[in-house]
Amino acid sequence: MKLEELSKHNGQNGEKAYVAYKGKVYDVTNSKRWQNGVHMARHRAGEDLTDFLALAPHTDEVLKSFEVVDTLEIDESKTQSSKETLIKFYQKFHPHPVLIHYPLGLFFFAALMQLLFLLTSLSSFELSAIYAFFVATIMAIPAISAGFLSWWINYDKQTTKIFKNKITFSIILVLIGITGIVIRVTNPDISSTNSLAFIIYNVLIFANLPIVLFIAYEGGKITWA
Amino acid sequence: MDYTLEELEEMKQIILIAIPKEISARDFYLNASKKFKTQESIQLFLSLAEQEKGHEASLRKILKDIEENIIKIKNSK
Repeated sequence: MKLEELSKHNGQNGEKAYVAYKGKVYDVTNSKRWQNGVHMARHRAGEDLTDFLALAPHTDEVLKSFEVVDTLEIDESKTQSSKETLIKFYQKFHPHPVLIHYPLGLFFFAALMQLLFLLTSLSSFELSAIYAFFVATIMAIPAISAGFLSWWINYDKQTTKIFKNKITFSIILVLIGITGIVIRVTNPDISSTNSLAFIIYNVLIFANLPIVLFIAYEGGKITWA
Repeated sequence: MDYTLEELEEMKQIILIAIPKEISARDFYLNASKKFKTQESIQLFLSLAEQEKGHEASLRKILKDIEENIIKIKNSK
């Protein structure tokens, strides 16, 4: 029988109580430990218990006393999906944590260089800042893409608070980066003036720091909390 | 026990984050089992891997229950 049919035999309302284990379907209707199709207030009849038995205080020997009434048909298309392959790929190469450190470090480096420029007026610091800011913004895109991949394969694209925060602030991060680059590239002499564009450009460079920290903090919660 | 929607959302997030950790732990033990030649050592790590699989299955079951409760609360509003 298929899993769908097995689920009907849940031991309730006069139904038989069947459980599956390693491809075999057992009838546990008459067991005093499966009254009303419930076992130890934790497991319900009508389910495949293969993955759960390793956690039980008994071995699979207990099932030998029950009659095998059928075999369980496994849907192969579900067990070997393309997502499974992607999960294996992700677990082997973990691209998100690998890629995220470059933009993170470079955004801080850009802000440090810009701060030194503001303090010393040395143009080499200003140039270092825009180069670092540019590379950080570009590198943020694959890092965020890998984050989306992780969100999809590990968390089924569930929109809980932590993921909403990460997605929202990652988008803001990239938008700030692109805006800063556009302002700087379209105003090559921006740093020799005290124009509004210069002020906005500086605000953008420094505003990215708390955003980067917040995204990293949320990521840390997923990994360590 | 009756939970609020906020509590269920928080529980969902915790369970959701825990599932990949169980999968990683299982892979960790499966890889460890390949490093040994004695049946005793191999069985030790395979058994630990099976337990992680059980944890994952338990978490998925809990997640399903939580999601059903969230839908119930949202529909009752």
